[in-house]
Amino acid sequence: MRNRYSLPLIGLHWLTLLLIVVAYVLANLLEDMTLSPQKLQLYAWHKWVGMSVLFLLPLRLLLRFVDRFDHRTELTMLEVKASAAMHGVLYLLLIAVPVSGWLHSSAAGFSVVWFGVLPLPDLVGKDKALAEIFGELHEVSVNLLVVLAVVHAAAALYHHHIRRDGVLVRMAPWIKKKVQAKT
Amino acid sequence: MKLFWLGILALSVAPALAGEWKIDSAKSQIGFVIKQMNVPVEGGFSRFDVHAEFDPAKPEAGQFKVEIDLASIDTGSAEGDAEVKRPAWFDIARYPKAGFVSKTIKKDGPGRYTVSGDFTLKGRARPLLAPFILTPQPGGGWLASGRATLKRSQFDIGGGEWADPSVVADDLEARFKFLLKP
Repeated sequence: MRNRYSLPLIGLHWLTLLLIVVAYVLANLLEDMTLSPQKLQLYAWHKWVGMSVLFLLPLRLLLRFVDRFDHRTELTMLEVKASAAMHGVLYLLLIAVPVSGWLHSSAAGFSVVWFGVLPLPDLVGKDKALAEIFGELHEVSVNLLVVLAVVHAAAALYHHHIRRDGVLVRMAPWIKKKVQAKT
Repeated sequence: MKLFWLGILALSVAPALAGEWKIDSAKSQIGFVIKQMNVPVEGGFSRFDVHAEFDPAKPEAGQFKVEIDLASIDTGSAEGDAEVKRPAWFDIARYPKAGFVSKTIKKDGPGRYTVSGDFTLKGRARPLLAPFILTPQPGGGWLASGRATLKRSQFDIGGGEWADPSVVADDLEARFKFLLKP
């Protein structure tokens, strides 16, 4: 019996984290920049990275769906329900954050051309008021995503260090399971 | 003597050929599309004036003049609007206006023409070609709509750190729509 998720799923999980960190750092840099060629470049990269998060998600959900690994092992009923709810909300936010950004770009009249090659369709027409609303939604949803991702990581660390079970190791198989080291 | 008769001829023919048309600014547009990071971004100018003189039976003999108030630019973002007024771009303090004066008009087909002339921007006059179509309007006026491609580097627009065409493209397309009334 395998004690971890499939390797492609593990790869996509950590890749998504990396992409979100990059997009988040770029967004924070952009906020303090005055208009310059660098700013236009960073803006584009931010959008490309964000769209990558969105486009990787269906693949991730598919892999999660077909993975035979039983994630309920070592969990109480309450934990099974709580983690399912948390994962569901995280997945929703992984859609909401990039989609609100995409909507914001469309409404602002600055479309997204993924990696400068693939033009993505505008989801709405140019509309300043709408652009502001989607901009707000983008910010609120990303802040929520960051908070929940921290809770998600804290729960994994709780399992690893306090409960000393294999929950973190499922997604990070390079880490030695604590309980094995102790007994 | 020959010149005198030519002069008489010109005086008698010119008014017939050169009907002057008034621009309906509210229903006219000057816009442009320029790629930024390979993304086509639309912009435009809200204040411009058009002087159009032509005989609908023979527009090839007509003349067009366009003057654009560069401060009226909309680049799609407030920070873009502020940036393009600076010396690296339009340098609006020194060159507040851009203008086009037609030299020749060629007939390409029924209702289709190409006007060529000089476009002056930032003190630099460069030849410009603009194919356009002329459509009669219900009220007795004409709609002239067309496009022209130009390069910003020809006019020293956006030099220095902005020169890199992979960020802001060198090529841009201007689009115009003029509703001309009798």
